[in-house]
Amino acid sequence: MAKVDRIQDERLRSSMEAAHSSLRAGDHRDVVQRAGEAYIELLRRKPELLQGDGFQRQMRIFMFPRLGAHLEVEGGIPVRVVFDRDHFGFTEAVTYYEFAVDNLVREGL
Amino acid sequence: MKFGLFYEHQLPRPYDRDDWDPGAEHTILKHALDQVELADRLGFDYVFEVEHHFLEEYSHSSAPEVFLAAASQRTKQIRLGHGIALMPPRYNHPARVAERIATLDLVSDGRVEFGTGESASEMELGGFGVPREEKKLMWEEATRECVKMMTQSPYPGYEGAYFGMPPRNVIPKPLQKPHPPLWVASSRRETTMVAARLGMGSLGFAFETPEEAQERVAQYFDLVREECTPIGVAINPALAVLSSLSCFDTDEEAVEKGKEGTQFFSYSLGYYYSPLGAAHEPSKTNIYRRFIDTPEEQRMGILGGRGFGGFGGGDEEVEPEDEVKRALWRAAKRGGCIGSPDFVRDTLRKYEDAHLDVMIFVAQAGARKHEDVMDSIYRFGTKVLPEFQERHAMHERWRAEQLAGVEFPVNSSI
Repeated sequence: MAKVDRIQDERLRSSMEAAHSSLRAGDHRDVVQRAGEAYIELLRRKPELLQGDGFQRQMRIFMFPRLGAHLEVEGGIPVRVVFDRDHFGFTEAVTYYEFAVDNLVREGL
Repeated sequence: MKFGLFYEHQLPRPYDRDDWDPGAEHTILKHALDQVELADRLGFDYVFEVEHHFLEEYSHSSAPEVFLAAASQRTKQIRLGHGIALMPPRYNHPARVAERIATLDLVSDGRVEFGTGESASEMELGGFGVPREEKKLMWEEATRECVKMMTQSPYPGYEGAYFGMPPRNVIPKPLQKPHPPLWVASSRRETTMVAARLGMGSLGFAFETPEEAQERVAQYFDLVREECTPIGVAINPALAVLSSLSCFDTDEEAVEKGKEGTQFFSYSLGYYYSPLGAAHEPSKTNIYRRFIDTPEEQRMGILGGRGFGGFGGGDEEVEPEDEVKRALWRAAKRGGCIGSPDFVRDTLRKYEDAHLDVMIFVAQAGARKHEDVMDSIYRFGTKVLPEFQERHAMHERWRAEQLAGVEFPVNSSI
């Protein structure tokens, strides 16, 4: 069973399945966009992940890969994906994709 | 399961001085060669050597190709692994990497494992002008082209985003055909999945439980079967992870002789990969003194509980959820392969049951004494290793089942 199938939320699973299709099609920017948005959605639905001391909160944001895209933060909460460039390599796209899928599964979404 | 040694060439400063003894670097390298020679005689399968730059005390291993070449002339069977070669062209031009890998493969009679990566510390990235946000792209481009240089005559030339060169025949070519087994450093889970998709071995430089290793192994081989587009000509389906090794007659002795080195390994790693590492004062900061002055119960909380890596204090008893924090946390804890032969054997059986391919040991760490490192290698090699060697044929059969239907050429030493 592919790991993406373990995402319980239908909308998030569908989005990550689309990201997987984009990965295979070479549309790496779309993969990064979807992965970033999924992670933001995870943090929105699980606000407890951003609680604790300032450092713990920072780490949740810091752990998001910074490989040409990052999370814009407002009031300590990530709100959107910001692209530092438009071209992404295959390995960068995989990194964002796997990061998002792994976190969604681990947090039970 | 196979076994290897892992070398950073750690060299803590003396506690009471800010400079090393004049012969300290010479000694640590010569001792390491003795250790590798012993491991070779005992039947260890691999030695992996890092490439790091400017990371005083943590790693005095900036020219692994030289060390491995020396090791090749003192050993007969142990495989010589770059763990890893830094691939962004600002560190090493891809043609120079291809030449060095091939030459090492020739002088070692085909024993090279070509591990690749890009590093993550600000000391290194900043020292060579490698933009952090582009390092993976640089790695991908350079690694792909480097393999072509080893396999194509002539190499047709390339104009890429990060380097370019005209058509040239990059010589010599490696002895192993089409090229030595390819690996990529996988400190994060995501990179293991990159490795699978590119047909590379995953050098997991994180400390993982057997349960985590089992899950990764399953996902890795699924991806090798279903989504692999090899970056090279031959794939190297393989997973390796890291553990500490301090193997003595009793658990108590193993902890006594192994704990501080393991803690320093974690501490200095955390130091350089934190914002504090970016502010490191070359030739001035005494990391070992900071480490020793940190209360022992706080050492696992990198930098004395100041919170690096989200440890939130060194006395934290609850395992951090975050992958990187957890890896560092575990590196500082007793566990892994620090114990009596029975303890080490029981621990490793769990990894064997998880179908892990290679366990790589950090035996030389911190201020551990050379004679203790030798003792530990010897005890493991004589009291634990043989039974795992006897069972390896079972693992080979399991691997064959996993790779059934995979049509790519395979060059793997597992």
